[in-house]
Amino acid sequence: MRPLTEEETRVMFEKIAKYIGENLQLLIDRPDGTYCFRLHNDRVYYVSEKILKLAANISGDKLVSLGTCFGKFTKTHKFRLHVTALDYLAPYAKYKVWVKPGAEQSFLYGNHVLKSGLGRITENTSQYQGVVVYSMADIPLGFGVAAKSTQDCRKVDPMAIVVFHQADIGEYVRHEETLT
Amino acid sequence: MKASRETKRLFVGGLGQNVSEVDLQNQFSRFGEVSDVEIITRKDDQGNPQKVFAYINIRVAETDLKKCMSVLNKTKWKGGTLQIQLAKENFLQRLAQEREEAKAKKEKSTIGNTNLLEKMGVVDFHMKAVPGTEVPGHKNWVVSKFGRVLPVLHLKNQHKRKIIKYDPSKYCHNLKKIGEDFTSAIPISSLTWELEGGNDPMSKKRQGKFSDFHCPPSKIIKVQEDESPSASLAMRSRHHRVIMKNPHLTLQQTAQEICKDPITPKSPHVPDSDSQKLKRNKNSLSDDDTELEDGLRLMIAREENFGRTSCSSVNESENEPFEVVRNYFKSNVQKHCSLTDSGIKNNVSHLDSEGNVVSNNCDYDSVDTDDVAMKKVSKIKNNREFSQMEKSLYKKTSLKHRKNCELSDHCIKVQKRKNNIQLAVNNRVKHLSCKCLSKSISSEDADCVSESANSEEDEYNAMMKNSLHVTFTLADLGQLAGSDLKAPKEDTKSDGLETTSKSDRASENHRTSGSLHRSKQCIYPEEIVASLLEGEENTPGKQKSNKNNLKLKFQSFKGIGCLYGKEFVKKSMKENVASGDTSKNQNSLKLQDLTSMSMENIPSGKLTPFQCAKKADDPNYIQPQKRQFVFKSQNYKVVSPSSSDKGSRIPSCSLLTLKDKKYVSLGAETPRKGFEEDCCHRSTKTGKVSEKGPDLSSHVVPEKSPEVSSRMDTQGSETDFPLSVESSSDVNAKDKQAEDNQKRLAALEARKKAKEVQKKLVHNALANLDGHPEDKPTHIIFGSDSESETEKISTQEQSCLIEKPVKEFLNRASGKLFDSDEKEYDSEDDSSRFKIKPQFEGRAGKKLMDLQSHFGTDDRFRMDSRFLESDTEEEQEEVNEKKTTEEEELATEKLKALNIVQSILRINLSNSTSKGSVAAKRFKDIIHYDPTRHDHATYEKKRDDNQPKESKAKRKKKREEAEKLPVVSKEMYYNIAMDLKEIFQATKDTNEKEGVPWNEDCDGEKAKEVHDPAALKAGAKQPSGFTFSFFDSDTKNIKEETYKVETVKPGKNSWQGASFFEDSSSEEEDVAEETNDIKPRLGEISLPEKETTRFFFFSKNDERLHGECIF
Repeated sequence: MRPLTEEETRVMFEKIAKYIGENLQLLIDRPDGTYCFRLHNDRVYYVSEKILKLAANISGDKLVSLGTCFGKFTKTHKFRLHVTALDYLAPYAKYKVWVKPGAEQSFLYGNHVLKSGLGRITENTSQYQGVVVYSMADIPLGFGVAAKSTQDCRKVDPMAIVVFHQADIGEYVRHEETLT
Repeated sequence: MKASRETKRLFVGGLGQNVSEVDLQNQFSRFGEVSDVEIITRKDDQGNPQKVFAYINIRVAETDLKKCMSVLNKTKWKGGTLQIQLAKENFLQRLAQEREEAKAKKEKSTIGNTNLLEKMGVVDFHMKAVPGTEVPGHKNWVVSKFGRVLPVLHLKNQHKRKIIKYDPSKYCHNLKKIGEDFTSAIPISSLTWELEGGNDPMSKKRQGKFSDFHCPPSKIIKVQEDESPSASLAMRSRHHRVIMKNPHLTLQQTAQEICKDPITPKSPHVPDSDSQKLKRNKNSLSDDDTELEDGLRLMIAREENFGRTSCSSVNESENEPFEVVRNYFKSNVQKHCSLTDSGIKNNVSHLDSEGNVVSNNCDYDSVDTDDVAMKKVSKIKNNREFSQMEKSLYKKTSLKHRKNCELSDHCIKVQKRKNNIQLAVNNRVKHLSCKCLSKSISSEDADCVSESANSEEDEYNAMMKNSLHVTFTLADLGQLAGSDLKAPKEDTKSDGLETTSKSDRASENHRTSGSLHRSKQCIYPEEIVASLLEGEENTPGKQKSNKNNLKLKFQSFKGIGCLYGKEFVKKSMKENVASGDTSKNQNSLKLQDLTSMSMENIPSGKLTPFQCAKKADDPNYIQPQKRQFVFKSQNYKVVSPSSSDKGSRIPSCSLLTLKDKKYVSLGAETPRKGFEEDCCHRSTKTGKVSEKGPDLSSHVVPEKSPEVSSRMDTQGSETDFPLSVESSSDVNAKDKQAEDNQKRLAALEARKKAKEVQKKLVHNALANLDGHPEDKPTHIIFGSDSESETEKISTQEQSCLIEKPVKEFLNRASGKLFDSDEKEYDSEDDSSRFKIKPQFEGRAGKKLMDLQSHFGTDDRFRMDSRFLESDTEEEQEEVNEKKTTEEEELATEKLKALNIVQSILRINLSNSTSKGSVAAKRFKDIIHYDPTRHDHATYEKKRDDNQPKESKAKRKKKREEAEKLPVVSKEMYYNIAMDLKEIFQATKDTNEKEGVPWNEDCDGEKAKEVHDPAALKAGAKQPSGFTFSFFDSDTKNIKEETYKVETVKPGKNSWQGASFFEDSSSEEEDVAEETNDIKPRLGEISLPEKETTRFFFFSKNDERLHGECIF
């Protein structure tokens, strides 16, 4: 468990900023306490100061996780967002996609969102913009990347992919062992 | 030939120019009669005739026409070739003909229709005839007012041979004519209510009358028989009877009617013995009469059910049909009155219409029942008309009767008494109710009551008997007053109804006892009137317990009653008018009215033997009593003005006087004494109730030993206060009550004394009030008020009301304010005295409390959480100071992260966040800008960058100020004042000064904050003539003013002074810079302003202005 290096921080922030933009600083600079990011087992955890202190008592090899896992660094040192970060990012999400009830399940099984399943989308969403996928009942379902801009979405045929799947809450079931 | 002749129109063309009409006529007259010749000449443009032709109307036969045509056609005649043709008829003729034809057609068709109708046996209903014309060929069919043909009705009364002819042509509206006063107030609601009316249970339910029908269906049918077969007609007829038979008896003359009736020869009719009466009753009652009675009884029973359902407080025996009536009465007073009135009427009618036998038997009671039944019928049935009629009649008559008739008064009294009784204990309630019942029914027999008692309420037998006596007496009295005839009849009638052997005995006993009672019980207020008359005759009546005597009595009563009735009517009318306030406390007012009437009657009418009836034992006694009464009445009059005065008390005020006062006040309708009235009534009622107990007990006794005085007293107390007073005054009567009264008087005196002492206190307090402006009077008043309150309770019990005006005065003066304050305090303190208020919870709360404790409890200076802002900053600073190295590390880490974020997002985070990240970093998601908050000054855009350092310095100062706040010393303050003076000396213009720092100061809100207290100050100073507007116009003066105020209360305003200090220091700097600009403007602008304002707000000698002048 160690703090992130600057490089790691940058990579991670770049990633997160795709989803929440400048709201990122609200994660770092929180009014309700001090929060920080910690790297442990290649995973980045978002930890409050309090828990950090508590976790300091546990040896590194025995520590499974602390705080909330935001994602992990791949071997190539890229940052991959985990669905566990959804609770922290969804409130700040700048671009949102709502999927129809029929397409919800498809998305929750790890599939991309097709245009037929697209219920609603934030305007001015650019291509490859990170989005948070919501159900029509405004329940955050996961992360995705806009495969098409909002304008393009209008033109494409119904079976075209609109949002690439990145993480979804189905992973809590599907990848239970890796979500720490 | 001639028959076939027709009028033809011939065209004759080709005539010569010189052919004349005569020629033509001659020419054609050979063939027929030429009626008209018309020559037409056609001319060309120059006027030369081109064509000449003619039309000839000729009456000619066909053959002649042919002949004519053949002979004359195409013959040359007088220079022209004739052309003869048949022409169309003249258009005028044609028109006429067409019209005629149309007319003919119409007639034909109508004729055909009528024929058809006639064929079918239908009368032509669209006769064009004057109303009243008989339809030809149809007997008893008449054209009515609106052109409809209606049958003439012949109505036969059930009891009479007489047949009434009802001619619809004479009445434009049936209801209207029969109802007499259809216009008199029938509430719309009742109208609609009645409209719905149906006889079937469903409609009743719809009307809201839910009755559990206990009556067997056969009986119901019977009732319906009575009612339904043109029940309205029957009723109408009955009324007609009343009206027609006694033409002199108009509704308005009912009172006189009552008087006259006894005079009529039918009345003097006395039963020899009860048994005989019974027999006679039975025999005499015709079949339909009995039927009617049965039906009535059934109806009454039904009504009883109604009443039971409606009135929850009914304790009475259920089987007794009359109790229903009572309930009925209970429900609405008006109806009761009206009912009795109608009953009287009915009685009259009965007397008139029925034979002597029947008339003998007809009871007041029975009549009443009849009336009740009728009413019920009217209500129950569809006969809206009838009900309306009756109601209107009732209303009219009741109103008049109430004023005029003793009976009505009596009824009212009875009802009142009933109400009072209801308040009383259950037993009493029952007993009294029985009484009331009897009264209300107006002469129900003791027998009936006793029967009912036996059958259902064995427990109350004794009481019932008592009640019987009472009732009997009451009934007798009522009868005497109203129509004396009925008293004997009642008994008989009731007997007949009951047909019990018991009844005879009971009636006999009752009569004997009742006579005694009657003589004794005159005390009843209603009977005061009667007793006056009775007095003379009661003595003989008393001596003789026989029925014959009773008869005599009755007869004599009649005459007296008539006389009395007239007298009484006038007076009662007057008095009723005088005491117009009936709406508020009907019961009390009526009682008052009655009492007052009685009282006034006595002096005016000089009918001395007021209570003689009972005191027939000692006739000597009557005279003094009379005198006493007169005296009392005088007192009463004297008291009345005095009572109106607040403070004046009559030294001789006894219970009587008090009561009199009360009455007077009520009569006078002094509105502010409403409360008093209530209290009085309550007390009096309680008194009544209490006195009733002995009354009952005494009742039992009198049967054997006629103790007149006690009963008199008790009853008097029951009903009338003056009477009770009299009784009390009659110490000679050696009653318990008298003693009680004495005690009461003594207590009252004591109370009075206490009251006077109080009054003195109050006076002193009030006197002081003028002298001492502030604290003293309130305290004194408070004390006195509390005393008065404590006394109030006691006084209310005793019903002494003298104190009330004083109390009221007190309240008016100052007590109410204080009371309300007290209340507030109580409520607040008790509930939340020991609770920690939410705003004082926690550490910050503690501090806030400290702050507040420094600034006192004044609302204006109350410190709220806004003043804690600086403290929060401090706290945060403290917290930050406590940070450990780890936290610092974290912070640095965060900082780094933020930097990275910045670089990533390529946005420039605001300085404040970056800079203050180490310090208190706050979540500034959405900042709600509050100009009153110091820290929010950072969010303001700074237009003026001239003094950035200064702003920093100010911030520091601000913090210091917040820390210093409570500890600012006076001296500093005064120094500042000096500074300000100097400044003002230089600048003088306040408006501009105010404006400049406001705009230019980087901390705009600070200036505002500084001014706020000043504004508050101005507000506080308002009593001395300063307003906010004034403040706006002239700040300087205000500031001076505030200083003055602060010198008066330095402790409280120390904080404000501090703020001023800060403000002025900042202002000083500004002003120093801008004095150059300001000065030139000063003189021009400020002078006119000051002149105007000065004259408006200040006197010329204002010292403040003097100061300015000096400068």
